[in-house]
Amino acid sequence: MIRKAVLFLLAVTLGLGLSLACNPIAPAASFAPTHPQELGPGRPLCTTCHADETLGGAHKPYSAFDHTPAFVKDHRFLAGRDSNVCAACHAQAFCADCHSGKVFMTPDVKLGNRPDRDMPHRADYLTVHRFDGQADPTSCFKCHGRANNEQCIVCHR
Amino acid sequence: MRQRTSVVLLATFVSAGAWAQDVSGFSTTIAHFSQQNTPGFPSVDLAPFTEFLGVDATRLGSDALSLHLYGWGVNDLGGPSTILGKSGGDLSYAYLDYRFSQANAEFKAGRFSVNQGAGVEQVDGISGRTDLRGGFNVSAFVGAPVHYKTQEPPSPSTYTYHYQTDMIIGGRLGLRLGPVGEVGVSYLQDGSSPPWDLATPPPVDYTRKQAGTDLRLAPTAKLELTGHTLFNVANQYQAPGGPVPDGHRVAEQDYTLRYTLLPTITVTGNYTERNLEAYFAGTNMPNLFRTDVSDRHQAVGGSVILGSATATEVVLDFRHMSRETYGNSDRYGADLRMAAAESKVKYGFGLHKVSAADLFMPGGSVRAFYGMSREEGRAWVMVEAGKYTASLDGISYHFDDGTNPNLNGKSSLCQVVGSVGVKPTENLSLSGDLSYGANAYYQNETSVLLRTTYRFSAASKGGSK
Repeated sequence: MIRKAVLFLLAVTLGLGLSLACNPIAPAASFAPTHPQELGPGRPLCTTCHADETLGGAHKPYSAFDHTPAFVKDHRFLAGRDSNVCAACHAQAFCADCHSGKVFMTPDVKLGNRPDRDMPHRADYLTVHRFDGQADPTSCFKCHGRANNEQCIVCHR
Repeated sequence: MRQRTSVVLLATFVSAGAWAQDVSGFSTTIAHFSQQNTPGFPSVDLAPFTEFLGVDATRLGSDALSLHLYGWGVNDLGGPSTILGKSGGDLSYAYLDYRFSQANAEFKAGRFSVNQGAGVEQVDGISGRTDLRGGFNVSAFVGAPVHYKTQEPPSPSTYTYHYQTDMIIGGRLGLRLGPVGEVGVSYLQDGSSPPWDLATPPPVDYTRKQAGTDLRLAPTAKLELTGHTLFNVANQYQAPGGPVPDGHRVAEQDYTLRYTLLPTITVTGNYTERNLEAYFAGTNMPNLFRTDVSDRHQAVGGSVILGSATATEVVLDFRHMSRETYGNSDRYGADLRMAAAESKVKYGFGLHKVSAADLFMPGGSVRAFYGMSREEGRAWVMVEAGKYTASLDGISYHFDDGTNPNLNGKSSLCQVVGSVGVKPTENLSLSGDLSYGANAYYQNETSVLLRTTYRFSAASKGGSK
């Protein structure tokens, strides 16, 4: 463990040294930490103001970040590659509403006053998961396979 | 992380927030009273109080340095109502973030979540990323994986091998191809000791080493393919008497194709494949996720979205799933959503049908096979009038085979949640929910929830978050 940590630090140091020597860092300015104007209510559409533009820091068209139903369903990919873009409008706590790891209260109970938000496990999912788990046992794993085990292990001993 | 360490870390970070020039945050307190009635058992009254607290402090002496905290704690006045016991809590994240003004470079230290290709983890450690010349970008993290205790002490046969989860390291190298796409390769390793090096090798090898490739291709503005493939690259060994590794190296393939037919009509297609042994490698609940390691899951699906990003959205969706040890199932249906941003009234409906293969249950009390098909329905409405809000949300399930033992004799389940709220000031909001449900666990369950949220902000610039 210690040897690996030392090797890792050496690798980081070497990487930083090479970086300083060759200056491979992109010269472009970073993406803005916050959106310059406060956005209105509802799901935002970037293309309302940025029709055919490319989002500089992400090298992607603004349309890729329009909050359409398809975006909401597959946001995991863009959130992984361009979290800085998300952070321009969303605080980390917004992600934690659903992705906070260990939880006591399911998101749909915590936000029972917001039926307009897509939430996992609405209503009695405890019963339904016995059915969905047969068809697709992998769907539970991303959130519960390495986390939140206090909940699962009560029955799955 | 030990509780004492968490408290010290929290106190240190909170005091560091005093140096911040911009501080914002929120406090949400939820009192949840419920009564669960199960035939043959006395009714149970529950009264947990939960506090969620989040703080974002920016410009900590430098414009680039910020602090982010979020956690929760619960105490049950009637309990112990939860598997946590009478009280509990968690620090979801607490980290210092330094964002450079150039190259989207960023450095984090503390507890945070990472989402870097193969690595989707909660970590106590450090991470960094930067854009490089030529469209490249690189990110990496190292630390200790965050694990949660269980009710019972860990035992080798049922829970986890701590010596294999003492550290976690990962990284991703990406290449951005202008607006037409991005490709990336990533790596993740959990644990520092291979099991065969241990004095007493465990019967099953849970070593997790995963490599990943990811891509996003958008040759035109209307067409986009995005997804990733994960490979299990650990040298999994067969312990004496242990299961034979199935040899699949592909843990997961998950790809989605999106085509914008017209500005308001989008068509999507998705393919997913997961080989369970490789996909579940490293789970700390092997008794749940590693029961049949040679199993495989595949799914194809798609959707047609009408009125995408307009006031009226209709989503027609279909998904065919296939699991080798179970059979096939199809889920299809439609959702309607009327939610114009400026509208005071928003509402939606959804209907879905699940046609699934019968489940073989040799221990069933009536027969060996039980139906798994069902219909789902949901309707919701939300009204916002000035500082007042109200909502109603109803969900029902009807199962075709009411004799399925999983249903405890109930073929129909439902839940209705009604909520009213008021926002006396710009920063304070109060709301109350009343819900009723009939489900397979409790003949009926009634609950009242009171929610208080206070947001504070001293930020001097930027949009709302």
